[in-house]
Amino acid sequence: MILLIALIAGLVVGLGRAGWQHRPYQAPTLQSTWLAFVAFFPQIVIAYLPATRHLLADWFASTVLLVSLVFFAVFAWQNRHIPGMPILLAGLVLNLTVITANGGWMPISPQTASRLTGSDVLGLASLGSRFGQKDILLLSQNMHFEFLADRFLLPDWIPYKVAFSLGDILVGTGIFWLLVHPSVKATMPPGERVHLDYI
Amino acid sequence: MKNTFARLSVIVSKINRQHVQLILAVLALAMLVLGISAPADGGLSPH
Repeated sequence: MILLIALIAGLVVGLGRAGWQHRPYQAPTLQSTWLAFVAFFPQIVIAYLPATRHLLADWFASTVLLVSLVFFAVFAWQNRHIPGMPILLAGLVLNLTVITANGGWMPISPQTASRLTGSDVLGLASLGSRFGQKDILLLSQNMHFEFLADRFLLPDWIPYKVAFSLGDILVGTGIFWLLVHPSVKATMPPGERVHLDYI
Repeated sequence: MKNTFARLSVIVSKINRQHVQLILAVLALAMLVLGISAPADGGLSPH
């Protein structure tokens, strides 16, 4: 959810800049938008809906997650010409790398997970079990690409607790940049309509 | 009921193609962001 804040912030700043410069805000011209919808739907079932999250075997859910990420990678690659998308794509690649290397889940250490919950997670869950939506509890020494795992935390004075990865940082930066900088140059005469074909 | 429909039709008439495209683009990007990121959410701390 924290990355949705980056998206909303980018949209607000982009709309604000367009208003300040007295020009219409042009949405990014996306190619193959259907890919994003197709890629996201299975993740609703395996990760986001509490009622269905644990219905499927972990090995199947992790395979679905990886396939979904590949679909997203194709979508991002097809839209790589949009400012900000290369940064977002780099974040995707980093997350895909660490998730693939760790059995199809984003690794998180028990120490980091305990900081999120405020209690010792190993009292509630065992190593190697799922944590949250897309994470798996692993000791740091047993992680592959540990530096790409969910290892960063917000400062303690922020009441919202979340652990995120280097890839997530790039994804957040990329989406903010993408929405702040419209795809149409500011020199376009005001009121000139742009024909948008994005599907 | 008549007033409700009248208000709805005014709102709908103001929605143009570019608004729809913006909404769909933002939706697709939101799905992209949620789909490719994997932060572990701990929620709001009671402290």
